[in-house]
Amino acid sequence: MPLFDMHMVLTIVGIALLGGIIGLDRTAVAQIMISQPIVAAPLIGLTLGDATTGLIVGAALELIWLLDMPVGAFVPADSTVAAVFATAIAILGSPGSERLSLTGFSILLTVLLAPVTMRADTVIRNFNSRLGQRILTPSGEPLGTILSRAHRAGLWVFFVKFFVLYLVLIPVGMIAVRLFTHAPETYHRAMIFYVKVLPLLGAALVVRKLSMKTVDRFLLAGFVMVAVLVQFVHAPALMIMLLIITGASLGARYRERQA
Amino acid sequence: MQSLGFAYAIEPVLKKLYPDRTEYEDRLRLHMEYFNTQPYLASFILGAVVRLEQDRATGGHAASDVQGLKDSLMAPLGALGDSFFWGSLKPVTAIVAAALLLTGSWWAPILYLVLYNIWHLGIRTGSFFRGYRTGGDAVDLLARYRFTSRARAFKVVSLIVLGGMIGAMPVWRTEFRPAAHAQALSIAGMAFTLVIIASLQGGNSPIKLMLGLAALCLALAYAGVI
Repeated sequence: MPLFDMHMVLTIVGIALLGGIIGLDRTAVAQIMISQPIVAAPLIGLTLGDATTGLIVGAALELIWLLDMPVGAFVPADSTVAAVFATAIAILGSPGSERLSLTGFSILLTVLLAPVTMRADTVIRNFNSRLGQRILTPSGEPLGTILSRAHRAGLWVFFVKFFVLYLVLIPVGMIAVRLFTHAPETYHRAMIFYVKVLPLLGAALVVRKLSMKTVDRFLLAGFVMVAVLVQFVHAPALMIMLLIITGASLGARYRERQA
Repeated sequence: MQSLGFAYAIEPVLKKLYPDRTEYEDRLRLHMEYFNTQPYLASFILGAVVRLEQDRATGGHAASDVQGLKDSLMAPLGALGDSFFWGSLKPVTAIVAAALLLTGSWWAPILYLVLYNIWHLGIRTGSFFRGYRTGGDAVDLLARYRFTSRARAFKVVSLIVLGGMIGAMPVWRTEFRPAAHAQALSIAGMAFTLVIIASLQGGNSPIKLMLGLAALCLALAYAGVI
């Protein structure tokens, strides 16, 4: 079966458009967090008819990139592009086949995107800075009109950046995924295990940034409480997590009041 | 770049306050000068500047007041906002959502959006009106929202829930659950996490760690362990 027929090309263009709109939320419009991997990936998955793959990609990438913040002049890797890209290529590159190993491989491929997205972000930021300076050059036109036009141009530039990135990267990623389907079984087993331990890597990255200590007492307290509950109280997983979230919130509030 | 957004946001107010085109354009040009802060708390500065512009148009403040206020507020509010929104609110809501998602709750991303945006939109809207009402009194803003103590509490919740998330490994949704005895799985998960945390002392990037983990998984698969 050919990988790129007309239907597939239109699907890729559609995902690039949707990805472009989602990407605007990252810095240019509203910032209500639909661009975060935990939301963006399931959205793309749902659009392509496989929300589960989106949820897997979203959970893994959200934790990994959660605290990679744009502080000062540092431009972080674009986790939105990574989430949309990984979800799209995992689903589109493997119609009908077992997806968990391909999802792992797709997530792994996102590490190659980081330098590309960081470079693209730097170029766009420089362009937008020049846009601001250009407004101040006298041209005879009403300043309000020039300002509105520059503002819209800034938004378009952001959208186009995402759209073009997806349009170029998704087909390349799909080919890589299709090639990976023919890889030996060992590689598939490795990628399945990779998906399963990625949340632990994400958790470690977050803990490192939130706490100075390697063995943080709050981390251990949460771990012991839940491990005991899971072991001895056979309550549903959701109930245990809700219990620990509520307990942690009340505990933190009490601690602050005491302080 | 934020100066362009700030000028765009305040432009309708200036248009209304200054019917004379030259004065209106002078004021607009002033707001295109360098401006950079945390985007959510920019609304506090915007509210305060609207108030000062209004006072100025009716004969109150001198021109330097408005720019002086922006200059004095943008750096501290930028640091405060980055630490509160990016460093504590976003992590705590995302960690709660990820922990619930790993236990199989498909609605966790929706909960994330709701939890985050109740705070985000509430503070963003509230601080605009507070900025307008107080004319830029940052002490009043800090007293109202208690950013520092809340950030501290959010970090504690984040760490406890992360610990709980690792402890819940035996009941994670099947896609994420390695096959092993429940008790051993929790402890192995925590030990693995602590090893990575310790290895991060040297400041490894997420990219290097993702690649390293993939290499480790491949080695384990070749060795027949997984």
